[in-house]
Formats: sequence, C-alpha cells, structure tokens
Amino acid sequence: MQQSTAPVVQPPCQNECPIHQDARGYLAAIARGEFDRALEVVRETNPLPIICATICSHPCENKCRRGKVDLPLSIRALKRVAVEQGKSPPPAKPKAQRSQKVAVIGSGPAGLTAAHDLAHLGYSVTILERDAAPGGAMTNFVPIYRLPREWIKRDIDAITALGVTIKTNHELGKNVTIADLKKQGFNAILLAMGLPVSRTPGVPGENSEGVMLALPFLRSVNQEGYRLPPDKMVIVVGGGNVAIDVARSALRAGAAGVRMVCLEAPHEMPASPWEVEEAKEEGIDINCSWGPKQIIVRNGKLGVLECKKVKSVFDAQGRFNPSFYEEQCTLIEGDIIIMAIGQGSDLKMLPDMGVNLNERKQLVFDAKTMTTSQEGVFACGEVTTGPGSAVRAMSTGRRAALAIDGYLKGEKVVFTEPLPLGELAPEVVNGVKRIERNVVPAQDPALRVKNFNIADLGYDAVLGLKEARRCLNCGNGAHLIEEKCIACLTCVRVCPYNVPVTRNGKVDIRVDQCQACGICVAECPVNAIGFRMPGVEDIPQRIETAMKGSKQELGFYCSYDSYYLRGVNTQGMIGIPCLAKIDTKHLLKAFELGAERAFLAGCMDADCPFTGNLEWAQRRVDTVNSLLKDAGLGEGRVKMLKVEPDQFKNLTQLVAAAFQPKEAPKG
Amino acid sequence: MIKATHKRLERINEMIAPHSEVLVLGCETCTGICLVGGEKEVARMAANLRLLNRKNGGKKTFTEGVVRRQCEMEFLDGAASLINDADAVVSLACGVGMQAIAEHFPNMPVYPGNNTAFLGLSPELGLFSERCVACGDCLIDRTGGLCPIARCAKHLFNGPCGGSVAGKCEVSPDVPCIWQMIVDRMMRLGQLSKLEDIKGIRNWKTNDAVGPRAYIREDLRSTPPKLDSVVMKPVAPKGGAA
Ligand SMILES: Cc1cc2nc3c(=O)[nH]c(=O)nc-3n(C[C@H](O)[C@H](O)[C@H](O)COP(=O)(O)OP(=O)(O)OC[C@H]3O[C@@H](n4cnc5c(N)ncnc54)[C@H](O)[C@@H]3O)c2cc1C
Ligand code: SF4
Ligand code: SF4
Repeated sequence: MQQSTAPVVQPPCQNECPIHQDARGYLAAIARGEFDRALEVVRETNPLPIICATICSHPCENKCRRGKVDLPLSIRALKRVAVEQGKSPPPAKPKAQRSQKVAVIGSGPAGLTAAHDLAHLGYSVTILERDAAPGGAMTNFVPIYRLPREWIKRDIDAITALGVTIKTNHELGKNVTIADLKKQGFNAILLAMGLPVSRTPGVPGENSEGVMLALPFLRSVNQEGYRLPPDKMVIVVGGGNVAIDVARSALRAGAAGVRMVCLEAPHEMPASPWEVEEAKEEGIDINCSWGPKQIIVRNGKLGVLECKKVKSVFDAQGRFNPSFYEEQCTLIEGDIIIMAIGQGSDLKMLPDMGVNLNERKQLVFDAKTMTTSQEGVFACGEVTTGPGSAVRAMSTGRRAALAIDGYLKGEKVVFTEPLPLGELAPEVVNGVKRIERNVVPAQDPALRVKNFNIADLGYDAVLGLKEARRCLNCGNGAHLIEEKCIACLTCVRVCPYNVPVTRNGKVDIRVDQCQACGICVAECPVNAIGFRMPGVEDIPQRIETAMKGSKQELGFYCSYDSYYLRGVNTQGMIGIPCLAKIDTKHLLKAFELGAERAFLAGCMDADCPFTGNLEWAQRRVDTVNSLLKDAGLGEGRVKMLKVEPDQFKNLTQLVAAAFQPKEAPKG
Repeated sequence: MIKATHKRLERINEMIAPHSEVLVLGCETCTGICLVGGEKEVARMAANLRLLNRKNGGKKTFTEGVVRRQCEMEFLDGAASLINDADAVVSLACGVGMQAIAEHFPNMPVYPGNNTAFLGLSPELGLFSERCVACGDCLIDRTGGLCPIARCAKHLFNGPCGGSVAGKCEVSPDVPCIWQMIVDRMMRLGQLSKLEDIKGIRNWKTNDAVGPRAYIREDLRSTPPKLDSVVMKPVAPKGGAA
C-alpha cells in the first residue's frame, strides 16, 4: 500500500498525548453537547477510556495552547464528562480473524492496550496475569479513592468482549515458561510485566518492624481493606506521586497524622503539582530537602527517622546523585515508616528462559522494533521505559502490537511520529478572550480523608460544556483557497486575532494560528476561505434540506448552546458552531427557498468564547434586513436573539415574542 | 484602484423590466476588491433580484457569474456562453467592464449594477476614499506626493484658499485641508521652498479636454492600432509640467 510520507500535524494536546488522542475532537463534541460523539472520538484511540478519564497524568494539558492565554483546558476532566455522559459502545470486533496467537504477560495498561490492538488486528490474544485480578498497577496500587475498582472493570470487560482471554493467577516463570507458550502455539509473546517491586533506600534500621514498603502497603489497603492501628503517626519517605498516594491512603487508613520526607526541594519534587496540592489540602506535612540517614528503634519500638540535610539532588550533568550536609541532621518522630522511593522490575526468571538482561539487570530491548534478545519475544510498558504514566505505558503497548503485527506478517514496521502545530504567536494570544478555567469539583478535604470514596467528583454536563467551550480548536478553522483569493485583504482586516497576514504580495491565513471564529469565512467576498471544523462548509446544503416542505420559518442556533436546547424541538433548525459563521448569502438563500422569516438564536456576549462574533452576526442580520427591505419584502424579517442559558427551553415563545410587535406584511 | 458602490435595487429592477433571463456578472478585480463585484456580491444581488421579482409576480430567471477582469476581452470570451445564454447582463464591474461587455457582445443589453465612484484606496475596513482623478499629467512631485486636484474641493494648485481653518476644509469639518497636509509634509521633507514656484495655468489637454483619450505603446506594436480615441502624446503644457 502506498503511504504518504508527509508527517501529520496535530494540535499540541493531541501531539503530546502518547497515544495521540483527538482531544480537540472530543472537546468540540462536548462543547456541542454531543456526548455520545465525544465518547466515540475518545474510543477511537483509547482502549482504557474510563481509567484515563480518571487518573491520566494528562501531559496534553501541559502543552494546551490556552495555557499561553490563561490556563490550559481541563482535558482529563472533560474526558470524564465524555465517559460519564456518553453512551456509545466500544468499536466492534473486526470480522476478519487471523490464525496466529499472541500471549501477553501482564495485564497492566501496557498489556491491555497491546491485547486490545492485537484483537482488533484479528489475532487471538491471551493475557497471563500472576495476580488474582487484572489491571496491573491500576488495580493493585492506585488508591481506590482515585480510581474505583468497578470503573477499571468496565474498561477491562470491554477488552475481554473482543475475545481477549485473561488468565489470572498465571505467573511467567512459575506456572509457565516461554518455551511452554511457544509449544502451546503462541506465535509471539509480549512481556508487559511492569515494575512490581518497591525499592528501599538502604539505611540502617530499614528492616525494623514498623517499616513498610509502598507497594505492599497500597495493595493491602486497596485490595484487602488493611487499616492502620489507631493513633499512629506515619512517616512517608519519597517525593513522587506514589509517595503522595501512600501518604493520602495512610490518612484514610486511620493514621493520626502523616509526615512526608523527600530529598527534593518543593520545585524539584517529581510528584505532579496538583497531587502535592491535594495532599496539603488534606493536612499532610511535607518536609523537603531531607534524606533518610537511619531509623532509630527505641524500647523495641520504632520511634524516629533521622534525616540529613540535602545539599543537591542532581549533579552537574543533571543526573540523580544526591549529596548531603552530613552534620546537619534532624529527627522526625513517627510510629510507622513507609518507604516510597521508587519501583523496580522483577525479571529474574527471564535469563533462564533465554531472554537476556543487561549488567544492570534490565531487559535487553530495542525500542525501534520493540524486541528482546529472543526471536518472537517482544516487550512493552514500564519494564522497558522505567517508571512513568499509564498512558505512556499504553503507547508502548500500541507500538508493540504494531511491531508484532509486522513480525507475524513478515513486514518491516517503521514508526513515524506526528508533529505538533506551532506555538501561538503573541499577537494572536493578545486577541483571545480570557476565560477562567472551571474548577473540577472535589469532595471537601476534611471529609474525604475519612472515606475511600472517589475524591474527585468531576464536572457535570453543564460545567463540562462550559469548560469545553474554552478550547481554541487549534488548527481546525480557516484556510485559504488560493486560486479563489483576490487579495482584497478583508480577512486580514476583520480577523480579531491578526491571523491572516500578507506575505510576498499574497494573503496567508495562518492555519496553525486560527481561532476558528469564522468571521472571515462569512466576510470573504469571493468564497475563498474554507473551514475545517465540521458544520460550516455544509451550511447551504443544510438550509436546502431544512427548507424542504415549504417551511415558513428557518431558525439557526449556536451549536455551542445546543445542550441547553435539549427538550426543545430543534428539528428543522440549523446548528452552527457560533453564529458568526452565518453568511448573508445563507440567510438570503433561506428567503429564496420560501422562508417568510428567520432567526438566529445564540448566547449572551459574556458566554461567547470568541471576540466580536455576536457583533458580526448582528451586522449580517442588519444587512439582510436592509436588503430584504429594498426588495420590498418588509422590515425586520430576520431576528437575532441573545438567550440566557436557562431560557433556551423557552425558545419557541422567545421567537414568537420577537416577531410579535410589528409582524411584517407577507411578501 | 477603481472604487464603486451598488446601485439601488429598484433602479436595477427598472432597467431589466423587459428581460426574462438576466445574468448578474461580477468582476474579481477592482470591484471585487472594493466588495461590490465578487462571487458573493453577485449571489447576494441575484438573490435579492429574485426575491423582488417573485414578490412582483415576475417570471424572470437570474443566473450568476464572475470573471477575473470584466475589462479584458479574453476573460469575457471565457464567459461568452454564460453571457449569450442570457437576454440581458447586469454588470457588477466598474464602467469600464460594463462597456467592455457592450463592445464585445454587440447584441447584448448590459446594465450597470454599480456606480463607478472614483480612483481611491481603502485606508481601513469599510472605508473607501478618493485619491486620483487620472488627469494624465501627474504633478504630485511638487506637492509632497499628495494630489490637490483629487483632494482639494477647488482643485487649487498654489496653496490653500481662505476656507482652510485649523487644518480642515471649509467643505466639511470631517475633511482635512489637503493644502495643509501638503505644507506639513513638505516641511517635514525639507521641500517647502518648492511651493514658491508658482505653477502657471495648466494645459488640461491630458485630462478630458480633447475627448476620449488613448495612448499607444509603440514598442509593442508593428502596425498602427485601430483607433477609437484621441491618442495622447507627452506635451509640455504652458504650466511647465511634463
Ligand atoms: C501507586 C501508583 C500510582 C500511580 N498513579 C498513576 C496515575 O495516577 N496516573 C498514571 O498515569 N500513572 C500512575 N501510575 C503509573 C502507572 O500505574 C504505570 O505507569 C502503569 O501501570 C504501567 O503499566 P504496565 O502495564 O507497564 O505495568 P503494570 O501496570 O505494573 O502491570 C504489570 C502487570 O504484570 C503482572 N506481572 C508481573 N510479573 C508477572 C509475571 N511474571 N507473570 C505474569 N504477570 C506478571 C503484574 O502483576 C501486573 O499486573 C501509578 C503507579 C503507582 C505504583
Ligand atoms: S486549545 Fe483545544 S485544541 Fe488547542 S491545545 Fe488546548 S485542548 Fe488542544
Ligand atoms: S476564522 Fe476567525 S480566527 Fe480564523 S482567520 Fe478567520 S477571522 Fe481569524
């Protein structure tokens, strides 16, 4: 098959997402109240939508271009709106099946993604999981107040529904070997075993009673309902997200108080800033720049962690290589110490099975081909990358699935990375309306530390819609049709964001800068501007359809308000993603097709995310009214209604009232 | 460039009264650029004419077309079948384009949908202002690059009249006195002394005093063209300009 070699250009959110989800696409659907469509878009690329909607580390938000204007979109919370409000089913299982079989070792995000993709490619897939329940770190370690186990199950059920078999309590190296699997007819084997072992700092006293390790602690709290003995002060050693999870879990498991100790200064902490913030809200005390020196046992009971002051965490080359002021020490009191300083792999069974490890006991692995040292044995997930995020593990699972597909078909697979759209230019940033990010509702900190219910409550549909409207629709707006352009410069002059510019005597509409407001499209005098976002270029056809059956009245509404129109009969009305995309020619067309009157129903100025759009829409209404008047068709035949969100339900009455006072004589 | 405005719809409607198949033909050059001749304006005008016609119980049909420049015969040839299929053309070009149709299609009635306004520019969105009268003998070398013929209500050549008050023309408080602007600019350019040369009476032959004007680029021709206007030659008019 001939493939285009030109790199795909994506909005930065999509590009930064390791599995390149079309965030812009599902945000746009949410903004129009099309939640089913939003979920459908999510499912196109994401086999674990509920898990990601709940705990994804959302690298997309770091690159969101609205971050240059005010604050990034709350993309993860919006994905949760899609999965909670949307009803679309996962993509169906493919009809064509292949005869080959693949075994996946480990059912974490990486293994599950690979299994899902391989099943869609037609392979028969079996996952072997050594634990009693599938899900990997999601199931074992991620605290249940962040990710309810029932939610994980729904994602996994969708994967088994594709025909993927998950055999739990099956451990590679114990119940089965690679050779066994090959003998059983598996044509490829994928190692996705994650990092299931907690590391320890190696300080005196760390084997004392009362010292626990992060992963076993989390597993027993999550899976076995372990609770701490009463009145214990807990010390958590570590500054990453796992340490924060341990600290917050300890509070919920009954700790009298929690003190965290980490090497890093506040700005260096590897934990995500929002996780640190949530921990602080819950009253967790964070002691930065201290390293454990020894654990002191008094009267046979654990009592104190002695720490030394950190000089620096990273060396001149930026490598993790902490140095200390050995004499500057402090004592931190506590009854229980939980070590959360990192996770490692458990691969000791592999060399005996002919899969090589390097001198640092890591898997010998080629990221270009996703292969190990043994033919037919592939690897993915944190076992290949080291600690990271679920979504990154998923992306490696996806690559591994493609690599295995290539291997089984005897084809060479080359992975190409798409490119991101450029940065927003300062002059564009200046023109964009500032809109506050909507805070994601959460349980009150004082209450949430007393239960294991999900802390993060998520947006409801209305808040989600409001948040989604903040999206700048990067790269999804206007583009110039060069052969039609007459260089009249109207677009250059009407654009509120200075997107179109002149270059070498020609107009250049900078696609990557466009805010998709649509003003220029409707003002271009020669129809030389095309529009990517759906729902714009097809307006004339939709008018024709809507006007079939000798209609008297044609209504246009802003599709960003369509959610508020639920329950109102919008049949025969036309939704436009912001009314400024309506052209005078569209309105005249409606009258030519027999309309007696028309109206535009949109939001109030304060709710419109664009700059000047309603003003332009109003201007077009005025122009058409004056043209119709010239044609002797009476006055005020087109009305523009700015509607409060809670008034959309009364649209019919509002329209009737607008035309009431001086109903134009029939033409 | 040439700037134009739409004619009133009623006027156009009167013109096309005898015809039943009317082509509204736009132009993508000057009138396209001043937003009265492009594809969308053609569609708007045609839609409006249709509505008016329907209201009056008429049975006319209206077709739509645009050409790159209506004033070029080659481009008109490209629209010939569209034009010949109609029984009248409403042109949304300037007067030049309209006449090109009249000349090129001897049996086709052509009606102006626009009023050709002036030669000017668009200093900002939605504003069009006159700058030049095509007098045929440009003199702005002596007036700081600003034209007193186009922009002085009295076409004065040697400084302002007594009606120039606080930089404004007596014709309207919105209009700056071009002579004030000329003086200010020449001062900035260090050329004020040029104004001391009194310009004598101008030879208006290059303007419109001779009848319709033409000029010939001899270097591009081997045979004399078929003339339709008075051929202009560079003259040294009494006023000294050339
Ligand atoms: C406490 C904690 C909180 C986290 N929070 C987040 C978060 O909020 N957001 C985020 O994006 N990421 C988070 N992560 C990281 C995320 O969990 C990992 O990036 C991800 O789970 C790695 O996926 P994986 O499939 O590579 O491995 P895992 O999820 O570790 O899955 C590996 C699976 O392999 C199984 N296995 C191992 N050895 C064998 C064997 N020999 N035979 C059979 N099965 C075997 C294991 O039992 C396990 O089920 C967190 C991690 C931890 C520990
Ligand atoms: S503004 Fe929207 S499309 Fe642009 S980066 Fe942010 S989420 Fe993506
Ligand atoms: S759609 Fe809006 S933002 Fe984009 S170029 Fe046109 S006027 Fe500018």
